[in-house]
Amino acid sequence: MLKKHILYLLLFCIGTTVHAQSQDLAKLTILVIDKTNAPAPHVTIELDNGQKTLRQVTDERGKVLFESITSGDYIITTQMLGHEQSKTPIHLNGGDQKEVTITLLQNSKQLNEVTVEGKTDKQQVSENAIRAVVVDTRAASQEATTLSELLNRSVGIRIRQTGGLGAPPDISLNGFQGRSIRFFKDGIPVDYLRDGYNLSNIPLNSLDRVEIYKGVLPASLGSDALGGAINFVSHQSKRPQLEASYELGSFNTHRATLNGIYSPNNGKWYAGLESFYNYSDNDYWAQVEVPDPETRNPYPDRVRLFHNGYKSYYAEGFFGFSNRTWADDLKISLAAFEINREVQHPALMTDPYGAIRSKQSSIVPTLRYKKAFLDGRLQIDQFLVYNTVNLGRTDTLQGRYDWYGNYTATPGNIGESRQPSLSSIDFDNFTARTNMRYELGQRHRLHFNYVLTDVGRKGSDPYGPVIVSTGQDVLQFPASYLKQVFGLAYESEWLEGRLSNTLMAKHYRYRSRGIDAWTASNVDIDNEKHQTGNYWGLAEAIKYQLNTASFIRLSAELANRLPEQDELFGNGEWIVPNFELRPEESLNLNLGYRLERQNGFSLEANTFYRNTKGLILLIPVQAPYAQYGNQDNVRGYGFDVEITYPFWRHFAFNANATWQDLRLFGITNSQDAWKNDARLRNTPYAFANAGLSASFNNLFQKGDAFKAYTFYNYVREFYLETIPKRSEPGGFLGLNGSAQINSSLIIPTQHNVNLGINYSPASLPLSASFEVKNLGDANLYDNFRVQRASRSFHLKIIYSLNKT
Amino acid sequence: MKISNLIKTHCILAALVAFSACGNDDNSGPIVEAPSKYVVMTMSDNTLAKPGYVTAFDELPSGDVSNVTTNTLQGQGMGGWRPQQNMLLKMFRTQDNALGIERLNVSTNGVITPGNFISADNSTNGSGNFVIGTDGNGFYWDGADPLKIQKFSAATLSRTGELDLTDVVNERGTNEAGILYRSIGQKFLAIKEGKLYANITYATTNGTQKGFFDDFYPNVYIAVIDVATGNYEKTIEIEDTGSIAYINDNNMYDFDSNGDLYIVCQGRSAVGGKSKIVRIKAGETDVDASWSINMDEIQEGGKFVTVYANEGKLITTIPNTALTGGPTGNINFSEIWEFYSIDVATQARTKIAGVPAVTNPGAAFATVEIDDLVLLRVNAPTQNINGYYSLSGTTATPVFNVTEGGSVSGIYKITLE
Repeated sequence: MLKKHILYLLLFCIGTTVHAQSQDLAKLTILVIDKTNAPAPHVTIELDNGQKTLRQVTDERGKVLFESITSGDYIITTQMLGHEQSKTPIHLNGGDQKEVTITLLQNSKQLNEVTVEGKTDKQQVSENAIRAVVVDTRAASQEATTLSELLNRSVGIRIRQTGGLGAPPDISLNGFQGRSIRFFKDGIPVDYLRDGYNLSNIPLNSLDRVEIYKGVLPASLGSDALGGAINFVSHQSKRPQLEASYELGSFNTHRATLNGIYSPNNGKWYAGLESFYNYSDNDYWAQVEVPDPETRNPYPDRVRLFHNGYKSYYAEGFFGFSNRTWADDLKISLAAFEINREVQHPALMTDPYGAIRSKQSSIVPTLRYKKAFLDGRLQIDQFLVYNTVNLGRTDTLQGRYDWYGNYTATPGNIGESRQPSLSSIDFDNFTARTNMRYELGQRHRLHFNYVLTDVGRKGSDPYGPVIVSTGQDVLQFPASYLKQVFGLAYESEWLEGRLSNTLMAKHYRYRSRGIDAWTASNVDIDNEKHQTGNYWGLAEAIKYQLNTASFIRLSAELANRLPEQDELFGNGEWIVPNFELRPEESLNLNLGYRLERQNGFSLEANTFYRNTKGLILLIPVQAPYAQYGNQDNVRGYGFDVEITYPFWRHFAFNANATWQDLRLFGITNSQDAWKNDARLRNTPYAFANAGLSASFNNLFQKGDAFKAYTFYNYVREFYLETIPKRSEPGGFLGLNGSAQINSSLIIPTQHNVNLGINYSPASLPLSASFEVKNLGDANLYDNFRVQRASRSFHLKIIYSLNKT
Repeated sequence: MKISNLIKTHCILAALVAFSACGNDDNSGPIVEAPSKYVVMTMSDNTLAKPGYVTAFDELPSGDVSNVTTNTLQGQGMGGWRPQQNMLLKMFRTQDNALGIERLNVSTNGVITPGNFISADNSTNGSGNFVIGTDGNGFYWDGADPLKIQKFSAATLSRTGELDLTDVVNERGTNEAGILYRSIGQKFLAIKEGKLYANITYATTNGTQKGFFDDFYPNVYIAVIDVATGNYEKTIEIEDTGSIAYINDNNMYDFDSNGDLYIVCQGRSAVGGKSKIVRIKAGETDVDASWSINMDEIQEGGKFVTVYANEGKLITTIPNTALTGGPTGNINFSEIWEFYSIDVATQARTKIAGVPAVTNPGAAFATVEIDDLVLLRVNAPTQNINGYYSLSGTTATPVFNVTEGGSVSGIYKITLE
């Protein structure tokens, strides 16, 4: 029934819009190019006949299309940051279909003397009807800051890490965590890269920006995210450039990037490289409990971690053709990555390990094709990838380490952890993403997006579980997972662009195959099981521009998060299958207001409501096995507010705060009914950031740039496990004191201050930065009893052959 | 588990000490009985860390009670405990579920705090399995030295030494390629009449589950060691069974009032098969070959997981259907376990009336004796029951029901010192 309604609604929207098109009006296509004849995207174009002004922004091909224009004389005005404003007269008659090419000219004036009318990519994304927090990694790339640290400064976002560089991150958006949040690279689901490309290892210099969607996702991000998504956007410009950076930090930390692209003046082809390297011993100081060798009573000590290293590289070479008759852009890439990680301790810092290691690697060929048809009204963006990611874990040591790194042999006792392992698991991945955009009119667009993901798993582990009846390695039984996500969106603008609307429907399908394999079961390859499912989602986002400085927006979404392959079929080791899993379902509502003044002052306030059913959590079934199951229902609301305030010409202050009240509901089991209305466990509910920066030009020499900055981060204590609502801390918003019980399961309040400076001399294509992290050398915890890095110092140098 | 006699003895000794301290001029008033606390443990979530709550009550709870009060301790490893004498002890540390031996302290105002802790190897299940003698000295097993038994002082809760029993373990099976793991005391440690009884594990796996449901031999071997001298005396056998006791706080054995020791063997696999209860009679050091209760004769596909012995009667649970394991199995959370009273002499079984079928008692003690009451742990969520019943004869009636804090894991009475 729901399917019919959605289809009818979409057909109605399309039908009425198409019907509105007039047949006797003119059509004007404008192509904007720069002095190298390369297309100039994101240029603001105004078409003015003295009575009415139409405004659009050029797309990636440098084009805009004005339709349904009445006949008459017009002035075409182009506006672009750093370029001369141009005015071109044109006369249009009814039925005309004209195409005009305009060349942008560089502005010789200082940038700060230009009145900026055009909007950058970042501004456009952040001002869409669908809310996105845009983190300008390019602007922060001079800092010796990690991506996680940068995102943690943003409103409503909390990145939790379990250690130093490379530690697996967990992001919390509006209280959604883990797999409820999906990740993308340039709009493509990034699952095919596993940990090779994620928050913990991407240097800022490798990105142009990060888009963070909380709640509704645009149709172009085809995924089954439940509560948000993060889109890593790499550098899109094809202008020749080369940039290298190197960072040296405490704990023997080395990070390097090398990014470059070359294209000839005619812009017909290009080639480039995107690469980064990370290494750290992560041997920071941590507070642990060391058992006395005689009494075995533990005593607290601050020790230096000794087996916590991390090394990774990612390198992507690409070659492409652009501005051809057969392709606007055809990009062929070959990437490779490898991660090697030392494992210092189990989930909590209870025991020291000295030899456990894990690794991941893959070679990743990809293809991306973009082409516009029908005078640019139809744009197609196709992506394909096929690769195999190999995961391995080694835990075969016959001995034990203590926290000081001393070794004792324990012959015959294999493995330091509970799970001895010598695993090698291959994940074969095929991902295809098709995105189509069709201009129904000047202010009406249709988007279609389709993502197919096909993953197969097969591996071995001589120390892993075996099928009791046959002695076969459970991992040798293959498992596969096919997921398809269809998205269709209708974007429209009304009231001369003041009202923007996006209506979207998504359809999710999956099919999974595998063996009900756990060690005690009596199965063989012929007992393969299948699981399928298909579900619908619906979203609506609306934005109303109150005036030139402010707008409000409202969005709603019915979202599904499909069970993943390993949740359905287990991991072939100690997580066993559950074929009864249902998708997580959520109703998300968001309401926001944004004010941005010409002087740089901005204020943004947002609130959200969510109602989520069937959160998938890992639960034990029969020791040592665990299994994913639909567990908690969560609903609640939250708000966040952010201000930016530039003052005294050189200074800027920004601050944000987030508070959320997410609670369990719908528990009917009498034994657990007391948990109704309890706060969602292990989820930060109040956190805030503040930053102060001072920027000076011409400080030591003409044309140089100096910046000093400090950032403060606060996270209110929260509880690892459920406590009844009546026992929660009191005071305003529950921010005062501690819970009314004696809890050993608190993630304590944390205060963190980072301090840094940047300097870019005018005479050299260099910039240098220095940063102190965790200035107070505090014991910081994002997760229960897993300490983050102690105070550290970082120096970063960037060499840029062509500054962009 | 019987605690009333121990506590009574403790109180009398305390009173005698107090009385003897009075001088002749002392105008002796009435002897004030040392205050007691009734401590209840619950598990709030069924996750691997076993989070939950512990609360001290001034009186035996009755009716509906909350186990989350201002004095409550919240922590991990709350799936059960192993109180001994007047000590609240558990094998899983409150702050992080680490393996070892931890004491919970109770103040006079009822505040519970985690106390001393003996750390043991976290990677091997069974680490922290312990027993305490009447002299306050105890023994425990640490997976870091699987062929040794560690000694500790219960008073200070710290390790004091070790018994190296490598030769004892190696009396058999040294040439068996199928034995991948060996240990002594991993699952069963008991002290009876001055002798320490410790199971010897010969396991076919050396991974995550080493030592559990992976017996190489059809018989279970138990080493007998003199407590006073630490000398090994002999190895005794329980024939044709497997998996003696288990790895968690429920030690799965009990002494009858006449000193007979009754021991649970879970059988050849996690879902049973040749599970039995056997005994070592008072004054004996060998397994009574003439007596055992075999689950296969009662419920095929079932197993024993608990035993309480008192005056010739055993209280245990018997599944009313064959056990199934794995993701959709009934073994742990289905209400299939029924309470029975078994006459030791005749082995006649009587189903206890007034009690629904319950979930697997697991790490919790299914039966505990407090204030001369025999209390049965009754957890039947579908019946809205989560508390303790009092057993009288073969009929049980509700005592209290926990409405807040999760599934009940245990109750114990201690006298404050």
